[in-house]
Amino acid sequence: MGNNIPSYLLQTSIDQYKSANAKRAKLSFIDKTILNSATAVKSIYLQAESSVKVNFIQKVNPYVKLILLIYIILMISIVSNPGKQILVTVFIFLLYIIAKLKIVQVYRKVFLLSFVFGFLIVLPASLNVITPGKIIFNLVTFNKPSHLWIYDIPQNIGCTSEGFQVVALIFLRVFNSVSFAMLIVFTTSFPAFIKSFKILGVPDTFLMIIALAYKYIFILSRTIEETYFALKSRLSGNIKTNKIRKLISGRIFFIFRRSMIIYENTYYAMVSRGYGGEVRLYSQKHFAIKDFIVLGIIVALGIVIILI
Amino acid sequence: MHIPDGYLSPQTYIPLMGVFVVSAALAVKNVKKEVSARNIPYLGMAAAFSFIIMMFNLPIPGGTTGHAVGSAVIAILFGPWAATVAVSVAIIIQALIFGDGGITAIGANCFNMAVFMPFAAYYIFKLLSSNPAGSARVFFAAFISGYLSLVMAAVLTAAELGIQPMIASSSDGKALYCPYNLSISIPAMAIGHLLLFGIVEGIITALIVSYFFKNEPGVIYAFRKGGKNGD
Repeated sequence: MGNNIPSYLLQTSIDQYKSANAKRAKLSFIDKTILNSATAVKSIYLQAESSVKVNFIQKVNPYVKLILLIYIILMISIVSNPGKQILVTVFIFLLYIIAKLKIVQVYRKVFLLSFVFGFLIVLPASLNVITPGKIIFNLVTFNKPSHLWIYDIPQNIGCTSEGFQVVALIFLRVFNSVSFAMLIVFTTSFPAFIKSFKILGVPDTFLMIIALAYKYIFILSRTIEETYFALKSRLSGNIKTNKIRKLISGRIFFIFRRSMIIYENTYYAMVSRGYGGEVRLYSQKHFAIKDFIVLGIIVALGIVIILI
Repeated sequence: MHIPDGYLSPQTYIPLMGVFVVSAALAVKNVKKEVSARNIPYLGMAAAFSFIIMMFNLPIPGGTTGHAVGSAVIAILFGPWAATVAVSVAIIIQALIFGDGGITAIGANCFNMAVFMPFAAYYIFKLLSSNPAGSARVFFAAFISGYLSLVMAAVLTAAELGIQPMIASSSDGKALYCPYNLSISIPAMAIGHLLLFGIVEGIITALIVSYFFKNEPGVIYAFRKGGKNGD
């Protein structure tokens, strides 16, 4: 794959055409979701592809990176002390500095994901109705405790220090896991990383489908975006909901058919290169001494963090 | 429905990873048998389709996130084993590249959305549709299979989360993983999927299956008897 970013990903966003069609048929929810997902997919693809630069961490064997990913994620999962999790955060941040990644750009994404999956979802756990303890921030006071269906409602509802500790622990776990996974993704070519799963005994057929799906996600997001704007540019005024439904289902079917044609072409291209139904991915480069050094240092640091 | 890292204890995610690995091995074996070599690359498209569908998600406090999956439509069109492979691939890419769903939770997420859900959807569809079926019946059967299978998978996810306070707490009773017990996680996940995401999954399944039924009924795996996909 190298650094060959598809040309369409480097084009100016199609957002600029929105204003001309702003008063056309109203499909605002679909507008937002399609544009947001297409933008997210493009930005990840661009970041992942452009970060495959020659650097110390980028040069580490993908097999070693996969072993480290599993090791660090498991370590994050079993460490139940927020203080130790902060040490892991610092350790991962140092690796980002060594890797010379665009720290602000990547951490912005890591923070957003952690905020949604590790903070918003778990925030209610800071309340005494979920995590009992000493209330340090009172929110509501009722006349007396009550009982509603299967729930006991205490007289005072508020945030507890124990609850904040639970929220902090889960937020840090999500933050550390996502940031370490992103570090590996942004310092490894995706096909090389996927090939490294052979070390875990994952069948080649499965790995080939992952590699194809990865490429196809970006093509599909582009096709959906283009199809949607082609559809929208032909609509005006108020369109009845059932007509919109028919149009959209027709477009989805069109995308299915188009992808079938693309895949038939892919299949013929594969056959012409010798594909006969058996998938065999070639192994990666061999281990170097520096791979063992990196593996040893990171494993040792992980053990130190667990033991202190 | 994607469980992030940090929500499941090792005593939950390790067995679920084991179940997923066995299921995935069976799925690959069956897909090689059922799907022609020509259509193996097509599963990549199905995975990409599922990936795009799952991108439209909302956080659910008390649970994880809510979204449609696309498992039901893939199971009906390509078969439940093919859906297991395709949706697993989508979930693995999401976890590794997009940080959506945890790496330790890959086994649990794949078991819920890529193993349990496609089989539930496929057999509900088979039960409700007849062969040959009318288009209204196919639409209804596809909607119900998508709707019910997603709601059932969401409840399964909620159960995995809800048992955490019982099986993994500190000595002073503080939650070490998901802090919500079953009385919170199940209503939180079930309500969102019963009222919103299940309907979205049902509509997507019904629209696509109906379109294939009208235009290319031969493609629908659930209506074929034997033979390889696409042959």
